Amino acid sequence: MTDAETTVVEQTVRINAPPETVWRYWTDPERMCAWWGAAAEFDPQPGGVCVVEMGNGGVMRGEYVELVPHERIVFSFGWDPSEGAPAVPPASTLVEVTLTPDGDDTILALRHTGLPVAHRGEHAAGWGHFLSLLVAASSDAADGASAS
Amino acid sequence: MDESLRAVADPTRRAILRLVRDGELAAGEIATHFPSISRPAVSQHLRVLSDAGLVDVRPDGNRRLYRWRREGLHDAAAFVEEMWSDSLARLKAAAEREEWPQRAAKAGRKGTRP
Repeated sequence: MTDAETTVVEQTVRINAPPETVWRYWTDPERMCAWWGAAAEFDPQPGGVCVVEMGNGGVMRGEYVELVPHERIVFSFGWDPSEGAPAVPPASTLVEVTLTPDGDDTILALRHTGLPVAHRGEHAAGWGHFLSLLVAASSDAADGASAS
Repeated sequence: MDESLRAVADPTRRAILRLVRDGELAAGEIATHFPSISRPAVSQHLRVLSDAGLVDVRPDGNRRLYRWRREGLHDAAAFVEEMWSDSLARLKAAAEREEWPQRAAKAGRKGTRP
């Protein structure tokens, strides 16, 4: 796939906790399920698997590429083929997470590259189905988190 | 950047999408959920969402009713943007919650909040 057909999602979050704490939320399956997915299975070492079940039949499957404790995690990212799952095959995209201490906070920067740019109308039915399940599963927690 | 990705990259527009997820709302009703944002600014957000095909609009008398267009968010990048945004907000909340007792103990009377 050429660059012209992929795009990048970048997000930055300031977290009032040290990088060591934030790191655990990426490497401890129990903590990961507090914010992403219903069940997680992973082997946090280069080449190790990273599988997150979304709780609605969707399964994210990737592999760790790089881990620098408390600083940087890179893993490949895709969804297992299933009805309604977004057309991002396992390990077809890359997620890079960097943690930078800033006083009492951690700046978490996430960069997700290689995402296919769909043409309007493509995958329409599947996306809507998968999205509605994902949003239903996650929005209560998100509403709670942003209600302060 | 894809139009739908640009549309969901904004937190206010994502909040509007959640509001109209389960039913139709008039522009005025949507605006009451965002007291700190001016009505013209809310209208502008609605226009961006509508132009990106993420909401359907229909007139009802002198009102305009908005509803989430589920098939609008077909773009993988827009989907992922929305997923990470919601998920990272939960990560932030969980990590800060875990840290709070230690921070409170260390801060003593400084009165820091999570």
